[in-house]
Amino acid sequence: METPHYVAARVQRALAEDDRTTELGIRVDVRGEEVYLRGQVSCDERRHQIENVAREAAPGLRVHNEITLVEVREPGEEEHL
Amino acid sequence: MRELRIAAVADIHLGEDLRGHYRKKIEGIERRADVLLVGGDLTRHGTIPEAQVVAEELSGLPIPVVAVLGNHDYHSDCDQEIIDLLRDAGIVVLDDEGTVVPIDGVRLGVAGGKGFGGGFAGKCASEFGEPETKAFVRHTKEIAERWRRALKELDADHKIVLSHYSPVKDTLMGEPPEIYPFLGSYMLAEAADAEGADLFIHGHAHAGTEKGVTPGGIRVRNVALPVIKHAYTVYCLNGDHC
Repeated sequence: METPHYVAARVQRALAEDDRTTELGIRVDVRGEEVYLRGQVSCDERRHQIENVAREAAPGLRVHNEITLVEVREPGEEEHL
Repeated sequence: MRELRIAAVADIHLGEDLRGHYRKKIEGIERRADVLLVGGDLTRHGTIPEAQVVAEELSGLPIPVVAVLGNHDYHSDCDQEIIDLLRDAGIVVLDDEGTVVPIDGVRLGVAGGKGFGGGFAGKCASEFGEPETKAFVRHTKEIAERWRRALKELDADHKIVLSHYSPVKDTLMGEPPEIYPFLGSYMLAEAADAEGADLFIHGHAHAGTEKGVTPGGIRVRNVALPVIKHAYTVYCLNGDHC
């Protein structure tokens, strides 16, 4: 079995460099044959694309997509400096 | 002097899939703010079609919009075309320079640009060794020098530095310390502290925190969308009430 450390590094690079994703802020953890993706993105389509790219970069491993969607709320209280 | 209401956001990462979404969130911004500052990473891949979406979302607002690019906006090597496209849409884009925005007789000076990395005092890269390392550090050094000049030349009542990269570690808390050198540089803070400013706005660190301060006492705010979780945040200068 490939060392999990290198699998995680490969998936992380793929997410950053693949034009379908270009996501730099996704945390990738590999435990045995399980890959965990964590972070925040703006829409569901991007969330699924990240999972697809991760699957391609880690064939044969089970990918858990734990990425959440950023909820962009209406502006709140202002800060007085 | 009248209070200034500064709306700020960064890392909006727009693309075709988000067309129209951000605009909805900033409708009515003129009732809350006098100017909107956008701290880079306007797009995902730095392509022209994405920049067109940015122009559509940010143009035609009743208040001035001042923006800088971020590292994502450089990815397709179209940075200059993106700057031109946004400027044609009426957005003021700072590329290591300054501008003065008049707001009801108050002159708001904004200086800045993308910025760059290198790390923070005591744990930073030096202009030494391989050409690649020297070029990396020199890039930040030259940017900081241009910002220093831009700030000095600004004739304004208030000054704000607008950047993509961070000037301090404070607002990176939450990011892995190993990547701090890729998230900002103390040289950006040094330039602002040398010339003085009321506020330093940046983005880039999605997992960071909002508030920090430069060694010279300038308030720093990380307004990356995943950090502020609002369409923008409003900072009020010079007064208790907006």
